[in-house]
Amino acid sequence: MKRATWMAAASVLSQELATTAALLLGVTLVAFLILYLAPGDPFAALLGGRNLSGAERDAAFEALGIPTTWYGQYLTWIAHVLQGDFGISMRSGQPVVREIFSSGIKTLFLTVGSLIVTLAIAVPVAAYSAMQPSSLRARAGTLLVYLFSALPTFWLGYMLIYFFTRKLGLFPILSATDETQEYGWLYALLPVVLLGLCNGTLSEIVRYLREEIARVMNEEYVRTARAKGASTWRHAYKEALLLPVSQIIAAKMPFVLGGAIIVEQVFNWPGLGRVTWQAALDRDYPVIMAITLLAAIVVRIGSFLHRTVYVAVNPRALQQ
Amino acid sequence: MKKIQTMMLLVLASLAISHTAVYADTTSASVSKSHGLSYGEYGRPTTLDPITSNDMISMRVTELLFNGLVGINNKQQIVPELAESWDQSTDSLEYTFHLRKDVKWHPKPGEEAKPFTADDVVFTYNIMMHQRTVTPLKVRYEFISEVKKLDTHTVRFTLKRPIMNALPKFTFKIIPEFGPANAAYLGRDDPFVQNPIGTGPYRYKETTANGEIILEANPDYFKGSPKIARFVAKPFADQNIMNQALMYGSIDMSVLVNPRNVPEIQGDKRLRLQSYSALSYQFFGYNTRNPLLADKRVRKAFTLAINRNEMLNSFFNNQGTVISGPFAPGSWAYNLDVKPLPYDTAAAEKLLAQAGFKKGSDGIMAKDGKRLALTLKVPIAQESESVKRVVLAFKNYLRRVGAEINIEFLEWQAWKEAVFANHEFDIMFASWVFDDSADISSLFHTGEIGAWRNNFGGYSNPEIDSLLVEAKNTLDHEKRRTIYRKLHERLAEESPYTFLWTLTNYAAYDRKVRAVQIHPYKFFPYADTWYIGEGEDDKANEPAPAKAK
Amino acid sequence: MKKKFHQDVDTVSEYSQLSAWKSASTSDRLNVVYGFAVVLVVAVSYVLGAFGWLPHDPEAMDLDTMMADPFTNGYLLGTDFMGRDILTRLILGIQAYFLPSVLAVFIALGLGSLLGVLSGYWRRRFETPVTYFSNLIDSLPRMVLMLLVIAAFRPSIYTIMVVFGITTAPTIAMLVKGKVMMLRERNFIESAVALGLSPGVIIFKHILWFNCRALLLIQATIGMAEAVLLETSLSYLGFGVQEPTPSWGNMVQAGANYLLQGNFWPSTAPAIAIMLTVLGFHLLGDGLNNILEGRQNR
Repeated sequence: MKRATWMAAASVLSQELATTAALLLGVTLVAFLILYLAPGDPFAALLGGRNLSGAERDAAFEALGIPTTWYGQYLTWIAHVLQGDFGISMRSGQPVVREIFSSGIKTLFLTVGSLIVTLAIAVPVAAYSAMQPSSLRARAGTLLVYLFSALPTFWLGYMLIYFFTRKLGLFPILSATDETQEYGWLYALLPVVLLGLCNGTLSEIVRYLREEIARVMNEEYVRTARAKGASTWRHAYKEALLLPVSQIIAAKMPFVLGGAIIVEQVFNWPGLGRVTWQAALDRDYPVIMAITLLAAIVVRIGSFLHRTVYVAVNPRALQQ
Repeated sequence: MKKIQTMMLLVLASLAISHTAVYADTTSASVSKSHGLSYGEYGRPTTLDPITSNDMISMRVTELLFNGLVGINNKQQIVPELAESWDQSTDSLEYTFHLRKDVKWHPKPGEEAKPFTADDVVFTYNIMMHQRTVTPLKVRYEFISEVKKLDTHTVRFTLKRPIMNALPKFTFKIIPEFGPANAAYLGRDDPFVQNPIGTGPYRYKETTANGEIILEANPDYFKGSPKIARFVAKPFADQNIMNQALMYGSIDMSVLVNPRNVPEIQGDKRLRLQSYSALSYQFFGYNTRNPLLADKRVRKAFTLAINRNEMLNSFFNNQGTVISGPFAPGSWAYNLDVKPLPYDTAAAEKLLAQAGFKKGSDGIMAKDGKRLALTLKVPIAQESESVKRVVLAFKNYLRRVGAEINIEFLEWQAWKEAVFANHEFDIMFASWVFDDSADISSLFHTGEIGAWRNNFGGYSNPEIDSLLVEAKNTLDHEKRRTIYRKLHERLAEESPYTFLWTLTNYAAYDRKVRAVQIHPYKFFPYADTWYIGEGEDDKANEPAPAKAK
Repeated sequence: MKKKFHQDVDTVSEYSQLSAWKSASTSDRLNVVYGFAVVLVVAVSYVLGAFGWLPHDPEAMDLDTMMADPFTNGYLLGTDFMGRDILTRLILGIQAYFLPSVLAVFIALGLGSLLGVLSGYWRRRFETPVTYFSNLIDSLPRMVLMLLVIAAFRPSIYTIMVVFGITTAPTIAMLVKGKVMMLRERNFIESAVALGLSPGVIIFKHILWFNCRALLLIQATIGMAEAVLLETSLSYLGFGVQEPTPSWGNMVQAGANYLLQGNFWPSTAPAIAIMLTVLGFHLLGDGLNNILEGRQNR
């Protein structure tokens, strides 16, 4: 089994690398073009607020060491990135890498935690509604899931804050690092749970899982196992659970970086979402480009992981 | 199935517990002698040096870190700071400052503290005015023609022309010559702007990964070591959350409390509310280039059409004063005889009729076929909630008298361009900060019309011009006062702006912090005298302002 | 003769609607009914708003009655932070996102179908570029892309929805492509071509209409729901529809400022509206999915 997994990984890897490189180039080019076509002058700050154009502008650019054409700028950026230099934030003057790294980790904490919460809720609900669709548990669970998916995240966030802090006095609203450590992890609970409930796709996930579980449960080999009296789950879990869950995780990879923006705002969580929002407000181009690239990489990693799992579970798929 | 559920819950719990390990930190929120004071800011400062910083948050931090040649005390008097004395030449073209000899720069860890000398002053001026330094200060100091070091502790500034009230302008902060990596100009990427070194009561220690800025007391401060050991600036992205943090003791102080939170804080025994005048006023500015607005009767009608008292009451809990002219109500220039125009829609409509407007079938006034439809451009400031209410109310009030206002919210840069550069607006909403010298000529003088100049409305009136020039050239304080009072009266009549009000700002902080004096807009200049006391401070909170009608 | 052809062709597509409905479960029927009710209310409100048949002036402020509870002074659902009637603004708020959402859904379905068909039908030529393009769009988290576009252009809600539609297209493309592949597997396409049907007829009538319409309809409901939530999120961040034009998103956001002081209603009323509407779309999609696709062999 292990060897099959390694072989699966290797073959998938080679395919993925090629696609990935092409995709990353495409994504960053698109992002760069969007920013380039934007009205307003991204270099206003560098030019000292003066409104230059034409030859004057070119001269100023040359003095500052910036290429004057858009593809020149893009290629320069790529060249720097390949050397690990993502530039400096136009807002804070700090190296972009540092900001993104430290805030990225905090966001990761939120989103990974929330994915676990989401799955912890979705899997049981989906399983119940697939296996015993008319049971009260299934119906109630599904309805609740749909309800939560439909609520505006920040509204729910504020309501939660209000009830927990005002009425119950339970979660003091602290900044993400606070010295009263006994509350430290409790504080993280609220945003993680909120994000897990309200990422908008909870219902989709439940729906998808339910279909997959129902489908697999109907497959020949599972019914056979059931008839024999063997435990259905042991046979079915790979296809019913592992595969769809990894598909979900892969599909939610984009979410991992970008989905926490709202929750981070509400809870003052110093994560990547806040950085992105601030960069959007400030038109901080180096930061935006770096985040775009990072997001694309994360997505590719997710896709790679999923493909690996898929091939490991379904070795036949290798022939595709 | 149950197994999966339990497993997942376990993973979740372990993640949560591991969070504790990840986030062990030592910044304290509980104000105490050893831990110092933490205050909340709505937003983060961009840079921490006094030259490139251009927002209020950065400015407050630099107040704790740096000093100027002179300072202004809470009685609005000039007091020595880095300069212990100064001479002014008889023609007022030369100012010579004698610097203190006992001032040292904050030492870098492991190094000796370097002494402050005249070289630093010259350096600061030169780097500030360098072409490639991006700073809003250049414009303010263009009146200086040169700076010369006379000896290690004497500096002379030569002016291009005599300036009324020049001394307050020398409060600009001094940075060390050895500070910036680049000796010629200060760029945003210079490490100095994130690791500042000053002479002030507090030293910059570090910025945590969460963006909290930690400042430590400078025991060698030339005015004496400050009594509060640390200041920590904590950034918040959401004002509501910041207020909650204050209520829960996560931060000890909020520099600006939102009016709607005031009653709540008032009821909290742990906190003290302190008002400080903002020294700024809000207004609607008119673009007189638009023929509809060129007629002063229209502008005056607009002022009559809005109920400023009702807005102040409903939106700001009556924490402020309606004004009738471009001065602070408490300042020497304010003419108390000029009362603000009352709320009178009938008078407003009469004025519009006099100006030749007739109400159309859609309820909107029109003249010569042109409807009274105008665009109001508003900058999306950080805390735009009260701004939103004011402009929405403005629109509402004006609709009742037949003027149609279209509101456009623009981001800061775009708004500045529209108003100051291209003059593409009809009405704008903003606030000015009062200058110490009450010099308003840049706002209303004909000569100040042009791209990026302060008379963005294009207002031109020869009588006002001559009054402004006269005031500028009068050196006698009493005479100036008379001229300003006349200006106030004329401007109230002319209404180039609809002057709204000056708001009382409230700061809130833990009662343990004592002797808190607050500077109107810089906030922290007197922070070195604050201290943290023990025991109860049972001075009652200031009573809530009564609702006026 | 022609009829017979169509009937044969039909057997590959779903069961007829009526029998599907009859054999559906109660809960599915309830879902669909509720969903349709929501769509109806939304459509009616849209019309009301478009013609201005509103109980109050949406912008008329009443500073004496700010943030009032429902049933005060003739304000059926209370007032907001400026004393404006909430019910009126709720109705008018639909204007803000109804058409843009429909636009987004159209683009998503249109572009998605196009891409799906291209990569499924003419595989040799189009599969790789379409896959690349889809992956490209998928690689950017939606919010990040939104912020990117917003940072650059400060666009109107329509433009934002267009971008949103584009980001949803790949999912639909994949689903459509899946259908096409399935039909191809069953030699359906081969036989259709052999029967002399033109590619246009095959694609539009048989593939899309007969086989994909349920799928597209369901995706449309999902898309509408997501569009509403997207506008809400953007309003919170400050980028959605601006005052004084009401949108449910900016109403929740404006009201949220007062929530922590105990004034729940100005923020909760639009939040409930959002919830009911999104729920309606989701349930509609779910119910339809079960009814229309439930019997389909995979």
